[in-house]
Amino acid sequence: MVGAVIAWLFGFFMLIGLLLLVIYQLVSLSDLEYDYINPYDLSSRINAVILPEFVLQGTLCLLFLVSGQWMLFLFSVPMLYYNVRLYLQRKHLMDVTEIFNQLNGEKKRRLVKLIYLVILLFLSLFWMVWTLLEDD
Amino acid sequence: MQPGADKTANVPGGPAPFLPANPQYASPFTSSGPVVGMQASGSSQPSSPFIPSRPIAGSGTSIAPGASMPTFPRAMAVPDSSWMPPPGRFNGPANAPPSAYSKQATSAYQPTQVPRFMPSAQPTPPFSITPQEGPPVLTHAGSLPPSIPSVASNQMPPSGNSALPLQSSLSAPRPPGPPQLTPSPGDYNVLPRGSVPQSPVNMRFSAPGSISQPPPQTLPATHLPYHPPQGGFVAPPPPIGAPIGFASREQMQYPSAAPPLGGSLQGLVEDFQSISLGSTPGSLDPGLDFRSLPRPFDNNDEMISVPEKYPFNCQPRFLKLTTHALPSSQSLLARWHLPLGIVVHPLAEVPDGDEVPIVNFGPAGIVRCRRCRTYINPYVTFTDAGRKWRCNICALMNDVPGEYLCALDANGRRCDLDQRPELSKGSVEFVAPTEYMVRPPMPPSYFFVIDVSVSAVRNGLLESSLSQPQMMVVADLDDIFLPLPDDLLVNLSDSRNVVDAFLDSLPSMFQDNANMESAFGPALKASYMVMSQLGGKLLIFQSTLPSLGAGRLRLRGDDRRVYGTDKEHNLRIPEDSFYKQMAADFTKNQIAVDIYAFSENYSDIASLGTLAKYTGGQVYHYPSFKADSHQEKLRHELTRDLTRETAWEAVMRIRCSKGVRFATYHGHFMLRSVDLLALPAVDSDKAFAMQLALEETLLTTQVVFFQVALLYTSSSGERRIRVHTAAVPVVPDLAEMYRQADTGAIISLLTIENSLSNKLDDARQMIQVKIVKCLKEYRNLYAVQHRLTGRMIYPESLKLLPLYALCLCKSAALRGGFADVSLDERCAAGYSMMILPIRRLLKLLYPSLLRTDEIILKAADSEDSLKQLPLTVGSLDSRGLYVCDDGFSFVFWLGQMLPSDVINKILGVDSSMFPDLSKVQFFEQDNEVTRKIKTILQKLRTNDPSYCQLIHVVRQGEQPRESVLFMSKTNLQVAATTLIGFCSYTANRKARKLASGLWHLLLVNKAGFSTALTANS
Repeated sequence: MVGAVIAWLFGFFMLIGLLLLVIYQLVSLSDLEYDYINPYDLSSRINAVILPEFVLQGTLCLLFLVSGQWMLFLFSVPMLYYNVRLYLQRKHLMDVTEIFNQLNGEKKRRLVKLIYLVILLFLSLFWMVWTLLEDD
Repeated sequence: MQPGADKTANVPGGPAPFLPANPQYASPFTSSGPVVGMQASGSSQPSSPFIPSRPIAGSGTSIAPGASMPTFPRAMAVPDSSWMPPPGRFNGPANAPPSAYSKQATSAYQPTQVPRFMPSAQPTPPFSITPQEGPPVLTHAGSLPPSIPSVASNQMPPSGNSALPLQSSLSAPRPPGPPQLTPSPGDYNVLPRGSVPQSPVNMRFSAPGSISQPPPQTLPATHLPYHPPQGGFVAPPPPIGAPIGFASREQMQYPSAAPPLGGSLQGLVEDFQSISLGSTPGSLDPGLDFRSLPRPFDNNDEMISVPEKYPFNCQPRFLKLTTHALPSSQSLLARWHLPLGIVVHPLAEVPDGDEVPIVNFGPAGIVRCRRCRTYINPYVTFTDAGRKWRCNICALMNDVPGEYLCALDANGRRCDLDQRPELSKGSVEFVAPTEYMVRPPMPPSYFFVIDVSVSAVRNGLLESSLSQPQMMVVADLDDIFLPLPDDLLVNLSDSRNVVDAFLDSLPSMFQDNANMESAFGPALKASYMVMSQLGGKLLIFQSTLPSLGAGRLRLRGDDRRVYGTDKEHNLRIPEDSFYKQMAADFTKNQIAVDIYAFSENYSDIASLGTLAKYTGGQVYHYPSFKADSHQEKLRHELTRDLTRETAWEAVMRIRCSKGVRFATYHGHFMLRSVDLLALPAVDSDKAFAMQLALEETLLTTQVVFFQVALLYTSSSGERRIRVHTAAVPVVPDLAEMYRQADTGAIISLLTIENSLSNKLDDARQMIQVKIVKCLKEYRNLYAVQHRLTGRMIYPESLKLLPLYALCLCKSAALRGGFADVSLDERCAAGYSMMILPIRRLLKLLYPSLLRTDEIILKAADSEDSLKQLPLTVGSLDSRGLYVCDDGFSFVFWLGQMLPSDVINKILGVDSSMFPDLSKVQFFEQDNEVTRKIKTILQKLRTNDPSYCQLIHVVRQGEQPRESVLFMSKTNLQVAATTLIGFCSYTANRKARKLASGLWHLLLVNKAGFSTALTANS
């Protein structure tokens, strides 16, 4: 019981962290679109948080696996696979020279990620409630 | 309105210059005669019908009398009624038919033609567009000064009379023009096949062609939609593209401009040309007269004309749209299958006397719009007694600064218009005050990075004395230690001796170098550290693949498993992100990079080129460089690079009216914000292209303005802003878009979209599909009304599009398969085509072929005899000596029957020994032949100073060099059959589905085509 709650808390905060990172990237991208920052700053900003995001996502997956939440684990595996593939193709970082041509794509990509994470957040909340009810 | 234009327009069969003595070679030219005529009378707004239309549009007090009225006397002076504006739609019939019919048996068609012009036989309504627009014009015409109707009635009194000149023009092979224009009937017989009935006819219509439908019996006389009854002559039909409301608004808004109504008198005149393909199945007859195919000859003239409608636009050499009429809605844009975009060449070289005026506002600052920051330009309007001005781009009312105040005259124009170039010229240059500087202007600095590895020594690169370099030696690759940066950059005039001495010692220093490796990346980093304070230009001389330190590249191009497969295009995409990052850093610090690549082997130009691409640089590629033969070229191009007028620390932005936005930008630059192009250095050899997108579904404005502003530091250290302004009408119909299309800009954008990173097949196919769709759409516009079966029709403005597109598919960047062009050459061609200005791109695609042996042997006057020949096998004579000039190289083609002493004099060696022509030095000997050739070459080179054309000499039948250098380069086989080949391609490939409409109308069997192709190749 206590273990489950602790695991859930960890997972919850990780999810919040992930969400914040993705939102931060999205905000930076729209800042660029409205010309508040220049592409150099933008790429250094975003590139600084990309690896932490990937690592965090991987740990979250691991946490789901360890805590035996198969459904949630299966649900977050595609995103992990996508991240790993991006990293292996060396396409995970922003390309400062082509940033404006890729702007829309990058925004869309992050928006999808955001939606994905929000769904994951609700699922994990559901899981929390479920475990608490089961125990009672 | 030049008399000359009238003249050519009225001579259909072939003006005198096109009739040389030799009939065999004359025929291509006579066929191009009508083309000239068409350009004058064609759809692309011939000047004469437009200018008189202005009063019709104006209909008010705002007509500038000085501008519009004089045209009437002039027009009236022309005796030929067919050139008067009111019967404008008779232009075509009056001009075109004689040319068409003269090629056939003229008499045969007379009976059927004449009745058509009887006005009684006109039950069919005119074009569908015109009726609803007719009434406004009539009302406007009613309010006209009386001169208009009188002119009209003088020229074209009742309809019966009006038909008379036309009848005469049709019943006689003579054109209706004044007597001096009458060509002798014999001229028409130049086309030998013309009299064969089912043989192809090349038709050029100025009018929607019912007269010139080739088999007259198939056309009922009633099928004459455009021929309106009497009333139509007095009140000319309105333009399709410019409704009256638009015109009056224009008048209101720019009283000084008084732009004439677009196409007003042409209303019903739809121009298109056609090629009929009437071969019988299974026969060897290709069904097409090759000589009738359009050829791009005198296309230089159209490059310099400002659209008459918007006299304040900048010269088209600075800014060109793919079509000078923007679609008003997304659905219309979707039907325009070609790219919609703009090609900007901000620092184009201008002829003497036409320089961009320089304006200095002094400390008061440049007058700009408060909101959108548009610079003041001729299209702004002054109101409130000159105290306010309305921005033409965002329509905001701005206050006129006190220093700039000036009273308005009765027409609402400023009184000081003549003294202010920024209010009367489309291109001006403002002197920028200090707020336009981030830092004080830096002196131009050049930094040279020279590769001293063994291959550079071997190919003799170091021996050619470079003009002004610097150099530093990087000892440690990982931790680059830099001595004092100030000591490394020196002032050239102060330390010329040191530099010279250093350069002289350079070859000896590395004489015994056996080092194969090249530490390119560390050298880049080091030079970045030196230059980051000042900015400037970095010139890199690289002769091997970078192999040490950061940024080392793999020999991926030599990998046969990849090159030659579907993954080939990946090799043209830069591999290492190091170079992109470096390029971004260079741009940030205002450093431009020019790459000079000399490698014999693969050196990954694709990756190196990114340095130039994102820093406003340029890629020069010298495949298999040899100092003795490439010396002159390198010296010329390096000198040009260093001495041409260069704009430093530049940024460029294009503003446009609401409703339109720029979707993508192409060229060598880096985007610093959504619409700001950062250019560390830009010069007259670089052009940029942008693709446009419509923001809203429906454009509400009638005119869209574009303003290109380039802020830069000139070489003399002055901060300047070059501003080009252009106005483009928004049109609601596709026909007008086609009429205003610009082949050069379209080809330029097609090239740029595709050339670099796509798969070769895909890229070629995309081009073809686009053109097929475009032609099909065009056909849908007209085919139904005119029942044009069995012919391919195309707009006058796009008559060369298929030709250039095919040439593009045969160019080095897109040609053939994987093995046809080496990867580096393909990439280098892609990089240079990316920045080529339109004119030079067209020349590269369709080189000029000149016959020179007559000049050399017969001492003929070289002025006249250098005529451009069509690039067909037929124009090559084995007795001749030809030079083919594509702007990058000269290829000399020595015919087999050329006298051997001439060959010997050219080669300098005895030709009977069959020397290896790729190694021989040409024109070394001093004799009369080489002297003459040298003067010719000199003249050709002065036409295009940006590159030094390398000379190649091939002999006829010398394989494989002939095919590599000449046949492929000049598209000889292809160009002969360009249009047919094009059609057959579309018919044979996937495009068939898309082109099924076109395919049906072509009515050509495949067998006929393939035989035609083989017969010609």
